[in-house]
Amino acid sequence: MTRYKRQDPEITRRKFINVAMGTTAAVGGVSLLSTLGAANPIFRLTANKMPPQAGDILVHAQESKEGQPIRIADLGTQLVRAWPQGKDENGEPVIRKGDPNNILALYRFPKGQIVAPTNLDATIDGETVAYSDICTHAGCSVGDSDINAGEMKCPCHSGQYDPKRGCIVVGGPPPRALAQLPIKLEGDNLVVTGFFLTYPYPYATEAEWESIKKEVEAART
Amino acid sequence: MNQWLDERLHISRLNDKFLRKAFPVHHSFFLGEITLFSLIILILTGILLALSYEPSNSLVVNSFDPGSADKPNLIPAAYHSALKINAMPFGDMLRRIHHWTANIMVAAAVIHMMRVYFTGAFKKPREINWWVGMLLLIFTAFTAVTGYALPYDNYAYNTLKVIYSIAASLPWVGEWVSQAAFAGKFPGDGLIPRVYGYHIMLLPGILLALTAAHMLIMIKQKHTQPQYAKRIAYKKIVGVPLMTQQTPIMLALTLVFAGIIVLFSAFIPVHPVEFFGPPSTTPINNIKPDWYLLWVFGVLAIIPSFEIEILGGVINSEFVGAIVVPTLAILAMFAVPMLDRSRDNLYYAENPTNYPVRLGAGVAFMALLIVWSVAGYKPELISAGILSNTNANAVLWIATFLIPALSYFAVQAIVRGIRSLRESDARDRAAFQAADD
Repeated sequence: MTRYKRQDPEITRRKFINVAMGTTAAVGGVSLLSTLGAANPIFRLTANKMPPQAGDILVHAQESKEGQPIRIADLGTQLVRAWPQGKDENGEPVIRKGDPNNILALYRFPKGQIVAPTNLDATIDGETVAYSDICTHAGCSVGDSDINAGEMKCPCHSGQYDPKRGCIVVGGPPPRALAQLPIKLEGDNLVVTGFFLTYPYPYATEAEWESIKKEVEAART
Repeated sequence: MNQWLDERLHISRLNDKFLRKAFPVHHSFFLGEITLFSLIILILTGILLALSYEPSNSLVVNSFDPGSADKPNLIPAAYHSALKINAMPFGDMLRRIHHWTANIMVAAAVIHMMRVYFTGAFKKPREINWWVGMLLLIFTAFTAVTGYALPYDNYAYNTLKVIYSIAASLPWVGEWVSQAAFAGKFPGDGLIPRVYGYHIMLLPGILLALTAAHMLIMIKQKHTQPQYAKRIAYKKIVGVPLMTQQTPIMLALTLVFAGIIVLFSAFIPVHPVEFFGPPSTTPINNIKPDWYLLWVFGVLAIIPSFEIEILGGVINSEFVGAIVVPTLAILAMFAVPMLDRSRDNLYYAENPTNYPVRLGAGVAFMALLIVWSVAGYKPELISAGILSNTNANAVLWIATFLIPALSYFAVQAIVRGIRSLRESDARDRAAFQAADD
């Protein structure tokens, strides 16, 4: 090793090639990354993917009677699953199951059992109540609890909800109560009177839910 | 013919470099081989399955139960093809072999890593291979998970939904990441083709590349030598060469192993797709992931619910339980070689009882994973009346800290016992020798 390094005022060929190769690799790498954009397809908010909204009627989700309108007499203290059914752009009825997060849970408890924080104005006679059936934790469909009668339990990570008290979380990891859906009785049909009162799964923030509501409103007019 | 080949391919050099590689003679060194054989069986059965599988979640008429003309029985094509594979001669058997081998591959990899950890085989110069091995473990788990999504029955559907929402729980970027990973909002039309691409192209490719690197590094660095090698020939490589001594042992092992898997597959059914049925909104009661992910599931079951919003990103219990905690566990495993400060190259597999802290830490770590896996059975523990709804989380959280700590100190006590026995043996021997003189 010499103690003196030769000072070369000019750029060496080796240095030039190294810099050129480095630049090419960097540009090439970044442009390859752009192909990742193709991984995420465009989302179109079609009628079957819209969340339940005012005017939808509730129909059975259970396979054997899917699509039959739900009657008050079908309901009880055992969970009944329902889909919202609305109209598509041609006015034909469409079950909104294009988004599986639209599945609903219906209960009917004797008068007086349903208490706050349930919104009683959004129930039918304070007896029949509708919630989003999608666990706010990891998006599984919630069923009746086999541990505590009258409660709901998510099979995925054992989140528990109390459907008589606004579906608040009474156990397990879910971060929020299940969203309540305002309903009323119109003739024999159960009819939705508006959007979910709070933001349902899969929306992570109030703002996201507000923006999807606006999108739906825009598509309706 | 040898000469003909040698003149062209320099077989003799290959022979010197690779085929004469010395294999230590000890049964604990077969664990890595079993993992490798599992990978080979998985690739072979996987190719056969791929020939009959239809990677699509578009709805088709169920040919086994077509329904009526006005109300056809529609099921996803992937699920339909799984039913058709089951109906093929030996089709169900093929699925079972593939499934069983996947489980055994993960198990063999885990036990292989335990062997490496407890004998100190991760030490200098083998740190890099420990890290490559960690990557292999992680990608094996990914491959297994994407695999059990493919039949697209109700179980797979729920699994995918949870995985999707775990990805979506990343703060700020979650929604984009999960949609990019699973082809749009769940369950998009491209969901199964996407997961299929991962399972048969991307992940096996990564696994093969990592396996090749793992073995090349192993050949370059040589196995750690078992203790007997020290007594036979100090600082010499002792073992049997790959050609021709180790090869028949390997072949025998492969055949025995394949036989065991086929026996398992013949008598123990796995994942009956007919039982779970096509994707539906009906939840499956007490659904669980495979055993190697049960600990993550357990963490999610006992983590208290919370949600914090920071600068528009949401940090919730799901993100912490399913991403932060497993990442910390994996990082701890990655850090293992860095905790060792020895400057010399390791030649000989160490006796675990000579390293009580390492032994205790390893046992405590496994105890922690076992406690969390048990926590995955929280609903069952409550239903069985062992725990109650109110105390389950508290009990399981106390166990989370207490049991690993207890196992650590138990290991220390046992090691001390073994040492004192060994020392008294040495004293006796010395005394007898003195008496003999």
